Amino acid sequence: MTCPSCGAALAPGARFCESCGAPVGTTAPGPAPVAATSGDHPLGDAPISAPTRKPAGTLPDPPAPAGRRPCTECGGEVGADLYCLECGTKAPSERDHFEEHPASWVAGVCDKAVRKNRNEDAMALLAGAEPGSRAVLIVMDGVSNSIDSDVASLAGARAAREVLRVPLPSGMGTPESRDAAVRKVLTAAVAAANTAIVAVTDPDSPNPASATFTAAVLEGRRITWANVGDSRSYWLPDAGRPVQLTTDDSLAQAQIADGIAREVAESGPQAHAITKWLGRDAEDLTPTVGSLEVTEPGWLLACSDGLWNYASTPEEMHAQVRAAATADPAGPADPAALALALVAFANAAGGHDNITAAVARVDLGQNDQTPTPAPAGTSGGEPSDG
Amino acid sequence: MAEFSAAVYQNEFLPDGGTDVNAIVTITCQGAGTAGQSGAGSAGEIIIVDTSGSMGPSTMAAAKEAAQAALAEIVDGTYFAVIAGADRAMLAYPQVSSGPGMVRMDARTRQEAAAAIGRFVGSGGTAISTWLDLAGQLFGSVAEVTQRHVLLLTDGENRERPGRLDDAINRATGYFQADCRGAGTDWQVAEIRRIAQALLGTVDIIPRPAEMKAQFEEIMRNAMSRGVADASLRVWTPQGAEVLFVRQVSPTVEDLTNRRTPVNPLTGDYPTGAWSDESRDYHVAIRVPAKAIGQEQLAARVQLALGSDVVTQALVKATWSGNSELTTRIDQQVAHYTGQAELAQMIQEGLAAKAAGDEATATTKLGRAVQLAAETGNDEATSKLRKVVDVDSEETGTVRLKRAVDKADEMALDTASTKTTRIRKEPTS
Repeated sequence: MTCPSCGAALAPGARFCESCGAPVGTTAPGPAPVAATSGDHPLGDAPISAPTRKPAGTLPDPPAPAGRRPCTECGGEVGADLYCLECGTKAPSERDHFEEHPASWVAGVCDKAVRKNRNEDAMALLAGAEPGSRAVLIVMDGVSNSIDSDVASLAGARAAREVLRVPLPSGMGTPESRDAAVRKVLTAAVAAANTAIVAVTDPDSPNPASATFTAAVLEGRRITWANVGDSRSYWLPDAGRPVQLTTDDSLAQAQIADGIAREVAESGPQAHAITKWLGRDAEDLTPTVGSLEVTEPGWLLACSDGLWNYASTPEEMHAQVRAAATADPAGPADPAALALALVAFANAAGGHDNITAAVARVDLGQNDQTPTPAPAGTSGGEPSDG
Repeated sequence: MAEFSAAVYQNEFLPDGGTDVNAIVTITCQGAGTAGQSGAGSAGEIIIVDTSGSMGPSTMAAAKEAAQAALAEIVDGTYFAVIAGADRAMLAYPQVSSGPGMVRMDARTRQEAAAAIGRFVGSGGTAISTWLDLAGQLFGSVAEVTQRHVLLLTDGENRERPGRLDDAINRATGYFQADCRGAGTDWQVAEIRRIAQALLGTVDIIPRPAEMKAQFEEIMRNAMSRGVADASLRVWTPQGAEVLFVRQVSPTVEDLTNRRTPVNPLTGDYPTGAWSDESRDYHVAIRVPAKAIGQEQLAARVQLALGSDVVTQALVKATWSGNSELTTRIDQQVAHYTGQAELAQMIQEGLAAKAAGDEATATTKLGRAVQLAAETGNDEATSKLRKVVDVDSEETGTVRLKRAVDKADEMALDTASTKTTRIRKEPTS
């Protein structure tokens, strides 16, 4: 037996490495398989845990709850025939429009959009009850010219969610080892999503389902993201400078890298051609991974291009979040209202592609905030130096 | 127990900015049973025979025989009465002056009623309002009777102060149904059609006395087969929508648009009367506010309601599309019945213009009618039109008014104007 951190030999039953001091064995924090890797030597494609490799069955479209959810258009009652009893708007099926609200501070909306016939976007969220504790936002966008990509993207998002259900590993204490461990888990999440997509793909499909993948994980003050394709994550602080966290794997992004202006590249004929994707015909499943420590309150957003098509720059997206926050009577901190408002904005702007918006509210807790200078109550007198 | 089903025919695709949705809804009733036998109430039949002085001996003899034949068709147990109509209405049978004015049909009452009919003598004028009012009183005298039907025969023009007949029609509307027949050619089609349309019945001409018996038997058989006493076509439209029209288009064209009874702000009932085992088509046109391309919405729920029970429903939809291949198609059924409704209108307006001496308008309208009858495959209308006009070209609707026209043929064209044909089989292209 050797130390997973430094590779030194361990005494049987040791709880700490004699050489580097890293905890080992049963008391080691975090998922043991991840901790057992060295940063430079990931375990390739090997499964990190059984559940993530469980083949996902085809997820059936859950039946729409007839007459329960109010009309998305006018708020009226929806009839047994699935049309609104007031305005006649067709109630979307569960697959065409669904919302997740795992905690008071995290919510997402996945919507077909007005101009599309099918919702190939998917979303899977997780959140701890405690605001700011831990949130996972996964957004996938099924490629519209592939077959059954709506089934595939949802299966993929839910499989990835299983991998990210446990906290990200913290490694062996150094930033490098943590980054490597985190990268390993996120890579495993992408692999799990891909496995699920392949599992629901007809082996004879001439045009196998494919999808993008973006995941944003918030743990306390740290945001970690992973990306394949052109779905995105943004950090949108209330006051500070908004940033696009992910970098698209797209021809447009390649052109931007070559110096072409963003608005030109993103409106070009191949703007939406992606260079990496998940699916049976995927060539490269390695996600782009990154992390950020946040220092002020704001919104973490994961979205599909159905949203960012209409607000691509972080500033434009920030403006939409602000507009939604000011317009919302429930206050700026209601994630469900914000997600709905962002989807409504994209639909109003044209709604040419499926829209997914998942948000987590970051309100840095009292303990996390920069301490205000304490009143000098104990000294009682003028400093003196004699 | 009667079973209803509904089917809808429409092109639900609207172009960008499109607002008008047209649909044909076919409602079919099966297992209707027999009038008055459903247990919900009894059926009542009243036969009204014109006994004014204008009834010639042969017509009167035929009318008596026909009324007696109609009695034979009334199912035992059904409440019935017979009215002799002249410048006032007389209760010919049962001969009572107070209490219930109708009796149940059995062998004895049938024979007594037949004897009473046999004593009819023509005299006096024609005041149809009094006939309708007496029928209403008789139905009202037997609380058990909930399905009310009248068979009315007249041979002449109504001779009353203007408005009296309309008032009586209004009092009867929604209370009883009436099938009306005119004997000979001295009656006014428009006048009798007004009664029949308001009272959800049919109108037709019986040009020769010999045909009267068969017609009466058929009318009464049909009435007895209507096991569903009363039903409404219930139309829901979304907030902000407008009902352009609601028409029955088969078996006959009847505009129901103005006969709406509100159920709630979004829903209205249109009367359809009693149902036998039959199928009727309705043309519903709704104007909805345009939505974005790709949006789908419900333009109408078209239901059949028995009292407050909805027994079947059809959904009329609207989907906005940028695909002009989808949006420019006109549903075959909608096109067919749009043509048939116009055909009815052209015949009636053309004959009215002819009667008023406006030959130019009459020629144009009847020409259009010939064209429409050919296009929609209404052979009955075509053959009736050809007795009134000489046709140069069906395709262009070029016709000449015939110089000598049998009045009965003209009236037959008029009474049959609202009769429609069902669509031909889908072309196999």
